[in-house]
Amino acid sequence: MERGRGVTPTSRGGPAPSWIRTLDAPADVWAVFLQARRRDAHVYVGDVHAPDAEMALLLAKENYTRRDPCVNLWVVPAREIRATSGDAAEMFEPATDKSYRFGGSYRQQQRVYRGGYHIAPTEDER
Amino acid sequence: MSAALATIADPAVRAAFREWLLRVADDELMIGHRHSEWTGVGPDIESDVAMSSIAQEELGHARLIYEQIAADEPGGVDRLAFDRPPAEFRNAVLLEQPNQGWEFSIVRLALYEAFEGHRLALLARCGHEPVASLAATLGREERYHGLFAGTWLERLAGPPAPQSRGQTQSGDARARVQAALEAAWPYALGFFETTEADGTLLRAGLLGESAERQREAWEASVRPLLERCGLNVPAAEPSLGGRRGVHTPDLTQMHTEMTEVWRSDPEARW
Repeated sequence: MERGRGVTPTSRGGPAPSWIRTLDAPADVWAVFLQARRRDAHVYVGDVHAPDAEMALLLAKENYTRRDPCVNLWVVPAREIRATSGDAAEMFEPATDKSYRFGGSYRQQQRVYRGGYHIAPTEDER
Repeated sequence: MSAALATIADPAVRAAFREWLLRVADDELMIGHRHSEWTGVGPDIESDVAMSSIAQEELGHARLIYEQIAADEPGGVDRLAFDRPPAEFRNAVLLEQPNQGWEFSIVRLALYEAFEGHRLALLARCGHEPVASLAATLGREERYHGLFAGTWLERLAGPPAPQSRGQTQSGDARARVQAALEAAWPYALGFFETTEADGTLLRAGLLGESAERQREAWEASVRPLLERCGLNVPAAEPSLGGRRGVHTPDLTQMHTEMTEVWRSDPEARW
């Protein structure tokens, strides 16, 4: 599926910034994000069709975790995702040498980046 | 493979325990095979995959329980699964019935999982290893099966969710689920059909709960789900027979198809 070609969302009532898009996805499509181990980031692994979040999680479990390790799943309506437009890609290209910023080998930094969110307790658990 | 049954000294208790294990394994084999018939023709690709996966797990459970029985017998797992006449099967009749429609398969799965989860818990407390540990392990997979059935049942029969996206149920969905429930209910009560084995197991302390108590626990579990879905719980008499080897032509037809490849060369090593 080609992504990033959806209708332009409106933002704060005014015209939407030209570099922000929604995904061209039907209303019942949920994007599935899988966390393989506790310290890993959730990774987008595909979609499921479902009428609501509970069904989406139920189907994602069996469609995306049967063969690969998983400790946690996220689902989000694909339409709710905001994406940069295709022609915004050049914004990510460094025009000058920025190798002094590359910190990929610093493990502490990676841990900070991957800190992520904790599961919120329910009302009963609070 | 440690012999599960040989360590039971009393032959009557051993035979009763074998019968109990056979009920468990035959139930799983039958519903597992019926669910596998949804592969490729499920209502959507995601549920098709999920139902197929549940089918695999049920067949896997059947295999592991058959292994416990077969450890003491010639012929192994394949003989138990493929080379018995229908009259030797001890599954409840509900589980051999054809799928008919998605709503029937979902109703049956919901009714069965509520029973099966409880039965595996009883087996896990039977005090006889390695069966007890195996039952505890298998029980972990049943949780998802029950969730799948309950979630689908609520979507088919319950009121539309306010945040529902894209799909809405058609007007006759609940009526069809109710009809499936009426058809399944008498046979579901057949889960609790007893034979002499039940009394023997109770007296020997292997089975911790009478069939009557199991049925009460089951009803306490399925009634809230069915009522939440707006379904009327039928007041039908049980349809029995399966636990005594009395089956319908559906089993014969299904078993003939299931064993077709195996029968082509029973001695083959696959």
